[in-house]
This record gives sequence, structure tokens and C-alpha cells, in this order.
Amino acid sequence: MIIASVSNVVVWAVWVAAALACLGSAVAVVSFSNPFYSALALIGNLGSLAVLYLLLSAEFVAAAQVLVYAGAVMVMFLFVIAYLGGRADAPWAGGPTWQAGAAIVAAGALFVEIVVVIASKADGRLSSSAEIRRSFGSPGEIGRLFLTDHLLAFEITSVVLLVAAVGGVILGSHAREESALAPGTGDADARA
Amino acid sequence: MLGPDVSGYLIVSAFLFATGALGVLVRRSPLIVLLSLEIMLNGANLALIAFSRHFGRGDGQIFALAVMAVAASEVVVGLGLIVAMARRRLDLDVDKLSTLRG
Amino acid sequence: MTPAAWVCLFLPLGSAGLITALGTSISRRTAGWIATLACAGSFVAAFVSFVAMLGREPENRSELSTAWTWLTGGDFRVGFSILTDPLSMMMMLIVAGVGSLIVAYSIGYMDGDDEERRYFAYMSLFVFSMLMLVQGGNLLLLLVGWGLVGLSSYLLIGFWHHRPEAVAAAKKAFIMNAFGDATMALGFFLLIQKTGTLDYAPVFQRADGLSSTVLNLVALGLLGGAVAKSAQLPLQTWLPDAMEGPTPVSALIHAATMVTAGVYLIVRTHPLFELAPRVEDLAAGLGAATLLMAGLIALVQTDIKRVIAYSTMSQIGYMFLGAGIGAYANAMFHLMTHAFFKALLFLAAGIVIHALSGEQDIRKMGGLRALMPRTWLAMLVGGLALTGVPPLSGFFSKDSILAAALDRGWYGDLLFAAGLVGAFLTGLYTFRMLFVVFGGEQSAYVQEHPPHAHGDAVARWSMYLTVGALTVLAVFGGWFQFAGVWTPITDWLDPVARPLVEASNAQEAIASVLAVVLGLAGIAVAWWLYSARRARVPKPSRVLERKFYFDELYAGIFYWPAVALTKLFYWVVEGPLVGGSIRGVTDVARWSGSRTRALQTGLVRSYVLALGGGVAVLIVVFVAVR
Repeated sequence: MIIASVSNVVVWAVWVAAALACLGSAVAVVSFSNPFYSALALIGNLGSLAVLYLLLSAEFVAAAQVLVYAGAVMVMFLFVIAYLGGRADAPWAGGPTWQAGAAIVAAGALFVEIVVVIASKADGRLSSSAEIRRSFGSPGEIGRLFLTDHLLAFEITSVVLLVAAVGGVILGSHAREESALAPGTGDADARA
Repeated sequence: MLGPDVSGYLIVSAFLFATGALGVLVRRSPLIVLLSLEIMLNGANLALIAFSRHFGRGDGQIFALAVMAVAASEVVVGLGLIVAMARRRLDLDVDKLSTLRG
Repeated sequence: MTPAAWVCLFLPLGSAGLITALGTSISRRTAGWIATLACAGSFVAAFVSFVAMLGREPENRSELSTAWTWLTGGDFRVGFSILTDPLSMMMMLIVAGVGSLIVAYSIGYMDGDDEERRYFAYMSLFVFSMLMLVQGGNLLLLLVGWGLVGLSSYLLIGFWHHRPEAVAAAKKAFIMNAFGDATMALGFFLLIQKTGTLDYAPVFQRADGLSSTVLNLVALGLLGGAVAKSAQLPLQTWLPDAMEGPTPVSALIHAATMVTAGVYLIVRTHPLFELAPRVEDLAAGLGAATLLMAGLIALVQTDIKRVIAYSTMSQIGYMFLGAGIGAYANAMFHLMTHAFFKALLFLAAGIVIHALSGEQDIRKMGGLRALMPRTWLAMLVGGLALTGVPPLSGFFSKDSILAAALDRGWYGDLLFAAGLVGAFLTGLYTFRMLFVVFGGEQSAYVQEHPPHAHGDAVARWSMYLTVGALTVLAVFGGWFQFAGVWTPITDWLDPVARPLVEASNAQEAIASVLAVVLGLAGIAVAWWLYSARRARVPKPSRVLERKFYFDELYAGIFYWPAVALTKLFYWVVEGPLVGGSIRGVTDVARWSGSRTRALQTGLVRSYVLALGGGVAVLIVVFVAVR
């Protein structure tokens, strides 16, 4: 409950900064032509999100976000971008196409709709949040929930991760065999 | 609750989601598309966490953790595909990868 | 009496089935023997039945035997039954007797043909069908036999199916007969509706109370069928074409038996005709008209078989005349004698045709008398019998019909005159044929192709013996009745078909004398034209040559309009509507597929855009609906 010991103003200030960083980095991800820069912007996005999670008293999730997302997933992304050589892709090249226009309209519509829907259906119930205990969002709490109420989700998630791992290995190994049989390597069959 | 109430977080979440959608629709490189997908997922995560705080229950955070795990798996497979495409010397342009057309 | 009748009916069917089942495992000659023995056995069975019938009282000679109930529909039932009475007995003997002789002849005639087995199977089928026709115990079985003989006729006319003329002739015969079948069926429907049954006795009883319109319609329907089957005016054009079939077929089907089925029908259903006297008069009139027309056309025919065919048409005209005026026994008697001498003429002509290697044009023949004396004698007997020269069979039967006509008032006198003219014509065309073929010097063709015997000893003797038997029958077959003096046939048929008219002795005498005189006059004219002067066969008039333009008339009325109609339907309905609708369906399917295919761009982004857009719309919908 770090938040409780700090005054409202500080919280507001932190919130504004984190929110602006989040939004800005999101726009940056979409706009940069160099994929490397986009990946870095995404890391920034993930970091500011972690701050926002902290403001919402979700400490474990914030930590997981930084460790898993920013730490593992983004590193993987950067590996691949480095491997591929960062091909540039100018998004707004060739002028505005009808698809780009339609995309902006659709995205804008989505944003507006979500806000409007939530606002109209909320009926003012969103103004006051519930009181929480000290242990809210702590690892113990998360663990307890995982092993009691959401045990099935826990197990299934582990299966999904296994499947992804296997899939990754297959996708990777298939490519390796392909390159081994490329013309020029005559002793591929002997080794296979 | 200190700071802005849930609605502020929800607006941020909606903006993230819309931006991610825009990125998916506009960008041609599959890598950037995946990154935009990550933004969308994170936007959803933020909404989940915000509501979890609003109602005082931890279920939203559990859900967010599950989403994170699934997102990670999806990135694995997606990147594997991209690497396979690169090995086959295919053009990494979603517009050009249209063999499954009618 | 009845069991023998059943045997008589089914033996030929068994032969047909046996020959078909054994197929090529038996030799061709064996197939011929099977068929001949079956038909002969049929005749024996018929004879046994006949003897049994003789032993009964005349009132007691009808027996209806039902094997099982064939059809039921509400109150209407039809049984598979055969009627054994004097009329059917007479027909059974004729059909089985002459039939077995002709089938025996076929062993020789068809010797060497590739498809002999099929021929004998068909012939057996025909004999069965004809027996079914005459033995049928109700109108429906008669119709079954009627249709089956039509089928057998079609199969046998088109026997040499690789000849297009034969196939066309078979179709023509079948279609014209189908017309007659249709009118008969319509008549039967009326009978079922009005009397509720198709059995002979109940129908005849209940017919008494029906209105004259119904009776006329029924009689007209029956007459339509009879006219079609017997090749009378106006449905006569198929018979000359039917000569495309083998000669024994022409003898059996188109001379002795099938074409006489119309006469049998009228005699069998005479109570109905008597209740519709105008139709009966019409039948007699048609018969008279046909006998004149056919006689005239026969004068100019150059194909030996067609001369005999038109002669058949003419003689059946006599039978129709007789049946139409009510002289049923005389008509049946003439049917019997006609079967003898007409079959004789055909079979003898068959020997001539085979001897000349298939030549049928009489203009190419001549002087065959010295080369084929026995055949000449047989044909001479047949020709004399046909012309009605005493004491041969035709004299007794034909003249009695003419005499009976005198008993019929002014209409009968008219018919009598027509019959006399017909007698003159008969003598003329018959002996024209005989003198041209057999008389004079040998033609060039005959000199180049000297007549030779056909086939091995069995084949030749089968032909000679049967022709000889028929010659005997043609001579003595008329001695069953001498009108006015001795009438066993009329007495025999009396329980079934009492004649309406009876000529007095004076009328008989007048008729006989006149007919014979005219017949001999015809012979004399033929002699003068074709033998003494050896005139070249003159160019006939257009009308006679074209057979009174009947073929053209029917082509114009039925064929060309049908062709035009089908063409119209083809262009208007079949093409655009049927074909177009099918093509239209495929075109629509293909077009919609191509439009739908345009959505499958393969571009991920457009798919996602569609998803996003759809979601946006759905959100609005859900919110608005809630």
C-alpha cells in the first residue's frame, strides 16, 4: 500500500506523466518506420503501463509485466528484428490510400464507441471505488486465487505455454532442415 | 482511491486499444503488426486491472496474467512464422503474402 | 376341355422362353424345331379341346376358366381367365394349325440366317399373343393379347434391323396400331364406367340399358382398334410396308392371323355392335371401300409380296363387310379359308423369292412355269381359291358373304355391288401377278439367275411339305359349309354369334353365279393383257401408283405438323427456357462466386479492417438494442 502514504497530488502527477508516456509511446510504435525504434517504443509503453498498474495497487502484475513482457517478450522481438535486419517500412508512403483512411475511421470509431458505451452504461457507478485490504494485489493474494478459484485457468495456461513452446521449436527446426538441403551442401543426406 | 478514478484509466485503455488497431490496419510489415497487437492486448490488460481495483476483487488481475501468458505464446508462434518466411526469402509485406486468395 | 385350352395357350410361350433362355447353346435348327413342336403341340391341345367340345350340347359349349384375380379396383375386378367357346375354338384351331405350318416352313425359309433363334422366339411369342387374344376371357385380356401381337408384329417386321426400311416399317405399323389401341382403351374406359366390368357376358347384358351415345362411342372405339389392326380404311397404310419382314412373317401375321383379329373382335363383341347399328353399317362400308381401293392399288404393284398384301387388305374388307352386316359365321368362314389360301400364296411366293436369290420385282420375273412347276401349281391353286372359283375354298366363303348382303336392304345392295366389282378386280390382279411371274418366256434376269433350291434337304422339304399341306387345305378347306344346303359352321357358331341376316337360296344362287362369272372375267382380262398379248406392264396412273395418296395425306396431317411443333418447342422452350434456365443457374452461381471471391483478397489487412468495422457496427447495434 505504497499509495496510501503519498498524497493525492503526487499520485495525480505520476498518473498524468505515465498516461502521457503510455499514449505517446503507443503512437510512436505505430508511426516509426524503423522496426527497431518501434520495438523500443513498445518497451517504453510497457514500462509506463507497469507504473499505471502500480497506481492501481496491482504490484505483482506490474512486476510480471516488466519481467515477462518487457524482459522476455520484447527481448525476443529485438532478437528477431536484429536477425532480420530491420527492414524499413514507411507506413504513410504513397499517400493516403482508402484503406488507411478507412482504418483511421474504424480506429477512431472504436475509441469513441468504447468511451461512450462505458460512460452511458456506468450510471455513475464508476465514481467511487471499493475499499481494499492491504494484501490486495500482493503475490500471496494472486497465488491464493490461482490455486483456489482459478485453478483451471492456471492449468490451461500452462498447457498453452507448452503448446507455444513446441510450436516454436517446430517452426524453428523445419527451417533448419530446409537450409541444410540447400543446393551446394552435398552431404546433407549422409548426415540426416 | 487516490488519483483519478477508474474512468481515467479506462480512457487510456480505450486509446491504447484503438491505437493498436490502427497499427494493425495500417502497417505492412508483419513485425510491426505483431507489435501493434501487443499494444492492443496491453490496453485490454489495463482495463482489466482497473476494474479489478474498482470492484476490489483480484479476479481481474488473474485474467490479466493469463492474457499475458497467452500473448507471450502468440508472439512465439508469430515470430517463428516471420523467421520462417524470412528464411524462404519471402517479402515481409502482408500485402504481398496473399496466396490464399480466391 | 379347358385344361387342354390352357396348355394350348401356354405352350408357345414356353417355347419362346425356352429358346430365349437357351440362347446360343442350341443350334439354330434346334430353335426351329422347338418352336415348331410347341406350335404343333398347341394345335394338338386345341384339337383335343375341340373334340371335347364336340361331345357337349351346343348350349353347353361355353366355359370360362379363371386362373387368378388379376386386377381389383373397388368393385371392378378382372381375372386372368380364358374363354373356351365355339368362336374361340375356331380361332384357336386356325391360329395354332396355320401357325405351326408356317413355323415349320420357316425352318426352311430362314435357314442360314444369323439370327434364326431370335426369329423363332418371336414367332412363338406371336402365336402365344394371338392365342391370348382369341382365348381371353374378358376384354382386358383381349387387349393384352392385342398389344402383344402388335409388339410381335413390330419385332418381326423389323427383324432385319440393319435395314432402315424395315425399321421404319416396323415403327409405322406399331404407331398406327397404337392409335387403334388408344381408341379401344377409351371404349373400354367407357364400358368400365357405365357397366362396371369388362367380362363379356355381364357387359353384353348391361349394355342393353346404356344410352345410344355411349354405345356408339364404345362401338366406334372398338371399330377404331379393329380398323387399325386389320389395316382397313383409313388406317391401312402400314400393311404394305410391313412386307419388309420375312415372308413367313407376312404369311402368318399379316395374312392369316393378326390382321384378322379385327374381324374376330367385331364378331366377339357383336352384341355391342348390334346395339350401335350405325357403327356396324360404318364397319361394313369401310370394308367395302377398302376392298375396292386395295383391289385397284394391287393392279399396279410390282413387288410380288405387295400384290398379295393388298389382296389381303381387300379380302379382309370382305370380312368386315360380312361382320358389319351381321353375317358373322360367313365372315369367320371366310377368315378360315382366307388363312389357308393366303398363307399358301405367301409361302409359295417365298419359295419363288428364295429361288431367285431374293428378287421380288415381278417385272424381272417371267417364264418360271417350266422351271418351277410345283410352285406354279401351288400358286395357281391359291390364286383360284382367292378368286373364288369353285370347287376351291374361296368360292364357298366369299360368295356367301355377298349373298348375305342382299338381305340387307338398299345398303346391302350397294355393298353387294362393291363386292362384285371386287371379285372382278381380285381375278384381274391375282392372275396378272401369276401370268407375269410364271407365264411367257423367261426374262433376262431369270436366265442369268436360274432358280435354285435353298438350303439342305430338311430345309427344302420343310418348305415343300408345308406348302403342299396348305394347298390341300386351300382346295378342301371350303368344304365345311355350302350355304343354303349344309351349314355346320353357322350352326357351330350359333350359340355365340347368331347371324343377323340370312340369304335365301335364290339370293345365294344369284350371288354365286355373278361372283364366279366376274372372277373368271377378271382372269380372262388378265390372260388377254398379260399372257396372250404379253403386254408390257403398262404405266399406271399416278393415283394408283401413289396408293391414293394416303401416305402423303397422313404425312401432311400428322407428321409434318408434329415436326414443326417439336421444332417450335425446341427453339422456344427447350433452348431458352430449359437450357437457358440451367445455364442461367450456373451463370448466376458462377457470377455470385466470382463476386464473393473478390472478397478473398488474401490481404490480411483488409480482413482485419473488415473485422474492426464489423465490431464497430456491432457495438452500436448492441448498445442501441439494449
